[in-house]
Amino acid sequence: MLMTEHAGKSLLAAHGIAVPRGNLIRKGNQVRSLKQSYPVALKVQVPSGGRGKAGGVLRADDAEQAEAAAGQLLQREFGGERAQTLLVEPWVEHTRELYLGLTVDGQIGGYVILYAPTGGVDVEHQEPHKYAFGSPREFRAHALRELLASAEADDALRERIVVMARRLVFLATAIDAITIEINPLAVLPDGKLLALDAKIVRDEAAAFRQADVAEEIERSRKREPRIVAKALAGNLMMVGLDGEVGLISGGAGMTMAAMDMIADTGLRPACFLDCSSNPTPAGYQLAFEALDADRKVKAILVSIFGGGTHIDRVAKVMNEIMQKRKSRKPVVFRMNGTGRDQADVVMQQAGLQNYPTLESAVDSVVAAVRAG
Amino acid sequence: MSVLVDASSRVLIYGIAGNFGRFSARDIAAYGTKVVAGVAPGRDTREVEGVPVFQNARSACASTDADVALVYVPAPAALDAVLEVLDAGCKVVVYPGDGLPVQDAVEIRAAARRAGAVLVGPNTPGVISPGKAKLGFMPSFCYTPGALGVISRSGSLSYEAGWRLTSAGLGQTSVIGIGGDPVKGLNAGEAIDLLHADAETEAILYLGEIGGADEYAVARYAERDDAKPTAALIVGASAPPGKQMGHAAALVGSKADTQAAKVEALRISGVHVAANLRALVDAAQAALRQRETITT
Repeated sequence: MLMTEHAGKSLLAAHGIAVPRGNLIRKGNQVRSLKQSYPVALKVQVPSGGRGKAGGVLRADDAEQAEAAAGQLLQREFGGERAQTLLVEPWVEHTRELYLGLTVDGQIGGYVILYAPTGGVDVEHQEPHKYAFGSPREFRAHALRELLASAEADDALRERIVVMARRLVFLATAIDAITIEINPLAVLPDGKLLALDAKIVRDEAAAFRQADVAEEIERSRKREPRIVAKALAGNLMMVGLDGEVGLISGGAGMTMAAMDMIADTGLRPACFLDCSSNPTPAGYQLAFEALDADRKVKAILVSIFGGGTHIDRVAKVMNEIMQKRKSRKPVVFRMNGTGRDQADVVMQQAGLQNYPTLESAVDSVVAAVRAG
Repeated sequence: MSVLVDASSRVLIYGIAGNFGRFSARDIAAYGTKVVAGVAPGRDTREVEGVPVFQNARSACASTDADVALVYVPAPAALDAVLEVLDAGCKVVVYPGDGLPVQDAVEIRAAARRAGAVLVGPNTPGVISPGKAKLGFMPSFCYTPGALGVISRSGSLSYEAGWRLTSAGLGQTSVIGIGGDPVKGLNAGEAIDLLHADAETEAILYLGEIGGADEYAVARYAERDDAKPTAALIVGASAPPGKQMGHAAALVGSKADTQAAKVEALRISGVHVAANLRALVDAAQAALRQRETITT
């Protein structure tokens, strides 16, 4: 979960990292009531990258310019989203722009500190210096200092960077951040560091111990289309894909394999819909409601290869749902896995066909879509 | 000898008193796995499926010589349960649960390494060495003994693949579920090292997906002069960018994360890549045939 710059900077400030003193506004004319010396920077607050390049940051030298710039920024979309708020900050004179970040590297199985001596919008063009330390308690300031010796000739500056990196490690641990990126990190004329931007990604899995993450997940769920929002609220994993072939599946890998097989026929999957985290009557009911309500969906494939999910139980649930269901969209089943023998009996008694392979089931659902 | 688990492994199930733990105890014992102890802190259960149940892992290991642990606890309790079985001396630990915070995954991975143990998971069905033992909840009928070592980021896809291979007469030495999370106890490169060192494994099948860099570790392995023939299937060709596909790590953020980029890297490295699920068995067969050409 990517936080807005303002939310990220608040967290940096709370953990001893200097940021410009900024204010949030919702309307252009609010600029005038701010106690702000000029020039200022106006920055759209959207949780997406590439904002600077997209023109989401403007400079204003007086109140009049600022109001005009604010009006302009609030009307435009950035990353497919219109900003609700702008951050107004003093335009800070600085001598250099650096890049400092902390992230999780799956290959080393832990955290890394990233540093580049030239930050800014084009930072991707250089390979940053990388200090991989794994577990937070394995972070060693002296190891980072040594690594940066070749990258940063200025001893005093290097020391400030090392101190800030240590603070990022503490911050990541405290707030369950999986990425903290400060770009640019400004060097001020007096040599001090100031975080001009903040990109913080929080770990959604940590919602059970981070109340603000749980609240943000709830808020972002409500921004989804109604059908998707309802499925997510029911603990299903759903991503709308806008196609004709409905897919109710279990397990991420098999859901993607079925999506790919559908796409190979020239049709499009309607969704990624993985019920494995709620394989209950209520969960499957919700999945059918979502796809039955979607007018684009012409037929539904139920593809489940159960391990921890016992498919004999799933078969019983499918039978109950089919008996009550009002929609006439064709449904094709392909279920295999733990409990398959009993599942076959249940399906046979219910008069439902269970296709033996994913290929045959996909071919059948595709034929149903084309016939409809 | 197989990798990680065999018929001589002495298995402890942490969280044995819950529905899932009870089912799994019965299921893996029926497969021939030696389940010697259970742990259920705070519960008065003394026995499950004929297995003695203890209040903590230390007393379970001391009384039963358990050396392998299967941990069934929800994510908020996982960090402490895994640290406990490591402290008790278990050298192979499987944590199948999903939704584990990355920070906790980093911590249990580091703790396992300090203890000289191997951690498999999170977010995995576990490990099976067909005909020998299983440590997890994959459907047993999908597997049969043979020469192919299988590694998978996805549980469901590994069942499907196992079932296809078994139906086609291609048996497996071990099927290792490394899990769908970004930080893994055992990542693809490390799992390959295990299969590379396993004398019974003649060829390797890797089942991957979009996001993360595990597939590139597989490609690097395949470039080695002494690499065993390798086949792969990478799913998620139809996944849109920027959207998480169920697994925490299955997200296309950059070009390197895409299915197409991964397939290309693997092909260049000489891996037999299946274009889709339909072509999986052919790719595995090609890898096994390549082995025959090398050895004859």
